[in-house]
Amino acid sequence: MMKIKAFFLILAFSAIGSQLAAQDVLSPSRKQAIDSLALEKVRDLSKYISIIGNKDTPWSEANRVIERTLELFADGAMMGVSSINREEVNYYGVREYLERLMALNYDRVNIQWYNIQYISDLERQPDGKYVGVITIYQRFEGVTKEGLKYVDVTKKDVTVYVERKTTQISGRIIGFWDVMLGDIRVTETKPGN
Amino acid sequence: MMKNSFSPARLKHRLSFGMMLLLAVTIGAGLSSCNSQKKLAKKKAEQELAEKTAKAKADLLAILNDDGKMTLEEKEFKLAAVKRMNLDNQEIKDLIGQAEEKLNRERAALEKKKEEDRLQREKEAREREMRESGPYRNINLALDAVGNASDISTANMKIREALVNFAGDDVPVLILISKEGEDSDYDKPTTIRKYLEFLKDQKKSPNKVLNAVFDANGKIKELELIKK
Repeated sequence: MMKIKAFFLILAFSAIGSQLAAQDVLSPSRKQAIDSLALEKVRDLSKYISIIGNKDTPWSEANRVIERTLELFADGAMMGVSSINREEVNYYGVREYLERLMALNYDRVNIQWYNIQYISDLERQPDGKYVGVITIYQRFEGVTKEGLKYVDVTKKDVTVYVERKTTQISGRIIGFWDVMLGDIRVTETKPGN
Repeated sequence: MMKNSFSPARLKHRLSFGMMLLLAVTIGAGLSSCNSQKKLAKKKAEQELAEKTAKAKADLLAILNDDGKMTLEEKEFKLAAVKRMNLDNQEIKDLIGQAEEKLNRERAALEKKKEEDRLQREKEAREREMRESGPYRNINLALDAVGNASDISTANMKIREALVNFAGDDVPVLILISKEGEDSDYDKPTTIRKYLEFLKDQKKSPNKVLNAVFDANGKIKELELIKK
């Protein structure tokens, strides 16, 4: 009897083990799909930042987009802010950063992100999450009422976390990849033109 | 004087005897040659039968032990050739029975697979039809209209129009990012309201309808999208 129990226990553990192993090793096409998904989230963020910073965006819309932007970030994520007029980089919580961005004292603000690409591929961590770093260049242009223009180009590194999760929809178990953005660090700031 | 012992009568008699002896020897030799030819032919036939039996056995074993190297048609052809030999050998008859059983199973599995493939192709065609021209076409157009709206107020109007097709703002939206066999990978599930606002904010409509579940009132209660 004990031998039969032991056999079934081994069988159950082997089944669980093989399922976990299947999760561990992603095929190149699945991995590519996840890479693209994370990159897409950073592109989405770039658009949201542009909307929030844009002085033509109605206040209610900007606030709605802030809420949507926050959904992209992991709790406690920090955003680096730099200026060509000072040495240090200030770090803010994402909500504070976005609210400050919305309230910037310019008449016109134009923010563009470009050259969005991985500098560190998504790698599986011991806890099962995938972590990578995407770098972006941000061109910020602010024009005052008086017509004074401030332009800088900042290189930023965005840490991305991707985790496999499941949820139940209409009785079905759905497996999905949750992409969360972490800290955004400033690595370089230059005057723009 | 020597007496001539070969009288004509006696010579004739001896010649007749000689002829008889020669005839007997010839017939005897002929009979012996015929017997050995028969033996040879029998031996040859036995050898041919043994060869045929060995080949038939080898072919039947090849059919029974085949693990997919031969096509079903090749195996059926081989079996038919063996059956045409009409070998009166119990071992061969047993092997034929086993091979027939195996090929019947394989034929049934192949027919089943063909039928499944046909049904799958029909299902895909129906889904494609739904996406590209059926009820999904209107949903796709509604999604695209939001993504292509020129300003916020137009986008908001298009969102209201699109939402009419859905059972509520919270209808779940799944976006398939990858599918490999049984493994389907989705983006984080969202709601139709949030998805439509996403299209408005991003000013793009990157996905199309893969599947929609309708409720009794004809409203969508679940939407599955895939990258265009």
